[in-house]
Amino acid sequence: MSYILQSIFNGLLAGCIYALFAMGLTMVYRVLNFVNFAHGELIMWGAYLLYLFMGDPFHFPLYVALIPALGFTILLGLGMDWIVFKPLRRTNRLTLLIAALGISFFLRNGAQLFWGAELRTYGFEIKRGWRLFHISMTANQMAIILATLGCIIIVYLLLYRSIIGKAMRAVSDNLELARVTGINAKKTIRFTWIISSALACVGGILLALDTNLQPGMGMINLVKAFAAILLGGVGNVWGALWGGIFIGLAENLSVLFISTGYKDSIAFGMMVLLLLLRPRVLYGSQE
Amino acid sequence: MIETKGLSKSFGGIQALSNCTLSLKGHAITGLIGPNGSGKTTLFNLITGFLPPDSGEIYFKGKRIDGRLPHEVASAGIVRTFQLTRVLPKMTVLDNMLIACPRQTGETLSSLFFHSNTIRVEENQNRKRALELIEWVGLSHLKDQWAGNLSYGQQKLLELARALMANPTMILLDEPTAGINPIMIQTMMELILKMKEWGMIFFIIEHNMDVIIELCEWIFVLDNGEKIAEGKPKEIQQNPRVIEAYLGV
Amino acid sequence: MDLFLHLWIMIFIYSIFAMSLNLEMGYTGLFNFGHIAFFGIGAYTSALLTLHQIPFALAFVVALVASGFFGFLLSIPSLRLRGDYFGIATLGFGEILRMVFQNEVWLTKGPMGLPGIPKPILFSYRFATLPQYLLLTMGLTIVTFLILRIIIRSPLGRTLRGIREDEIVLMALGKNAFHFKIKSVVIGSVFAGLAGVLWTHYTTFISPGDFTLSETILVLLIVVLGGKGTEWGPLMGAFVLIFFQESLRFLKLPTEWGRYLAPLQQMIFGGLLIFLMIYRPEGLIREKGEGR
Repeated sequence: MSYILQSIFNGLLAGCIYALFAMGLTMVYRVLNFVNFAHGELIMWGAYLLYLFMGDPFHFPLYVALIPALGFTILLGLGMDWIVFKPLRRTNRLTLLIAALGISFFLRNGAQLFWGAELRTYGFEIKRGWRLFHISMTANQMAIILATLGCIIIVYLLLYRSIIGKAMRAVSDNLELARVTGINAKKTIRFTWIISSALACVGGILLALDTNLQPGMGMINLVKAFAAILLGGVGNVWGALWGGIFIGLAENLSVLFISTGYKDSIAFGMMVLLLLLRPRVLYGSQE
Repeated sequence: MIETKGLSKSFGGIQALSNCTLSLKGHAITGLIGPNGSGKTTLFNLITGFLPPDSGEIYFKGKRIDGRLPHEVASAGIVRTFQLTRVLPKMTVLDNMLIACPRQTGETLSSLFFHSNTIRVEENQNRKRALELIEWVGLSHLKDQWAGNLSYGQQKLLELARALMANPTMILLDEPTAGINPIMIQTMMELILKMKEWGMIFFIIEHNMDVIIELCEWIFVLDNGEKIAEGKPKEIQQNPRVIEAYLGV
Repeated sequence: MDLFLHLWIMIFIYSIFAMSLNLEMGYTGLFNFGHIAFFGIGAYTSALLTLHQIPFALAFVVALVASGFFGFLLSIPSLRLRGDYFGIATLGFGEILRMVFQNEVWLTKGPMGLPGIPKPILFSYRFATLPQYLLLTMGLTIVTFLILRIIIRSPLGRTLRGIREDEIVLMALGKNAFHFKIKSVVIGSVFAGLAGVLWTHYTTFISPGDFTLSETILVLLIVVLGGKGTEWGPLMGAFVLIFFQESLRFLKLPTEWGRYLAPLQQMIFGGLLIFLMIYRPEGLIREKGEGR
């Protein structure tokens, strides 16, 4: 029984992190109408950048290292849009998606070039945490939950309480109409990339804190984020939040039934299932 | 031919079509008019299966067709064109025509290797017909050009010829003369009238009233997703509700 | 001389692999980002069967059927929706399949891999030496090229290209676009499986690490560089890229460079892919037609 409770807790924890990935991915999808296949690499680079600033030669403490890590991940997100996606905005989707995959591959191997393919950790010692109703949690895990809640509140405030957030929602509803009504599309797109990259960075760091760092972590989490998006309804930011949590729970509870080696494939399985169960596609509203 | 009963469709709270009941009977060319956003294209999308209706029924030749997929509706004999013309840009004009032939033997994998003669004969027949139709709409000199290189008016002509190539019972035209020059409009109208002589049946959305009055035998008027009038062109022109809808009083 | 033969064998194997992707991506416009999965299914099926003393000819057929079957299975959920979904589904499938190879140790020996895969024997003729194997791969490359050419130039090929151009139009004309896309994926997967079979019996050792995203990127790059939607493009792309990659392997570079060399080469491939998309999406060979 306590094992199940623990699994649920672990699932919620992982779900929080996936939710951050999914929310960022779905925002870009909403505004620019394509799946950013390089989103996983923003996650991975975010985590590695923190590793960089905490280790040689900087040795910043965690809270200081967080700032340049966040900053550089955002620059990376803005950079990929500026260098690659912007020139391709008006071409066909195949070109855009292949380019996105190219970026993903480039960045993944870039990380491998610097840090190698082996697993790494931030090297915090695991402090004995609290026990609550037979669930044990570490200080790291508490931090993850608090950080996720913080991010969600910030995203909420930005989307619903700021002018740019309202503009963003308008742009995603109808880019043409937004242009006509004088909303600054460029600024909005930039804003979208900033939030999306920042969420990826924070999520990546939290994931690495909970597990470890590895250049391949981006791709597998992209698939999870995408499954979460599908679950919550494509383009729906709050749907992505719930989708992410659901995926995290399903993944951790699945361990009760199947081999842990397949834990990472649960998200994919759910995605396929969802695609099968989806009602008829509305071709007319494709554009 | 086509009959709809209580057809409704809404998009996120906006009622695009509400309780629309109409019946196309016996006329070779029927028009569908109405101000922008009155639900004309939505009606076409529902009839051709591109959108599922929220409620209501659609019949074609007495058979119920709502809930069928677009290609099934097309195979049943209703072929449509698009408001913003859609040709296959990186394919030649001739290929654009040939692709429209229904049920080609050469589209199944096994026959490519076991019935190559049948395919050759069929291709030759189709090619002959395609060339005739291309000639007929006056695009012969462009047959090997990529369709994407044609002018907008030429693309509209190609789209019309292609619809005919699919061998339908009925063609739904979504604004066949929008965005093309007056001479081209004249050509388009002559072609449509010629096809009518051959026995083709049309349902046309059109904004150009001159075109509508000259072509159509019967007209439906939509406003805000509802049918507000139907009748002969003359009657429609004098109908106060139609005038009101158009002037927006 | 051996290097020369090895080079050509690899070029031909990758040509088949690239031609199969070209049918899906270049002609049908499908975003298959996990094509390595079908190569892997072909490779593992044939390797496992022949290791269990099943004649090569039979293993060969089963491997192709298995690849095609998995292509079919994956198509059903993901092809009904917009291209992006198929892209992510294939990408995910590629990763999952590797997990299966890794985890089902009873079958695949997991990360240890399968050594000692026998050389193919067809009609009691054993393709053991390099020249013999080159002949086999070349022959099958020609067969693949001809079969795909018949398909591409047929009414079926025309309809596939139409789907790439505008699926909506094809549906409005009465074509069941979904079925045609499935056909394209199944054919593509079968030939990817063929490439996998040839590769597995050539290297005689396979492990899950051989079927990663890198291979998908490589074949994607081959198709894009050569010119997608052209008959000769994949062959051209395979020649250029495999020549580059395999020659690099035979340079006598210090082993401690290896840690940097592999990711660096992959970065170049990724960068090249981006560069091509921005500056020359049509690749080396342009699709023919009277365009401009």
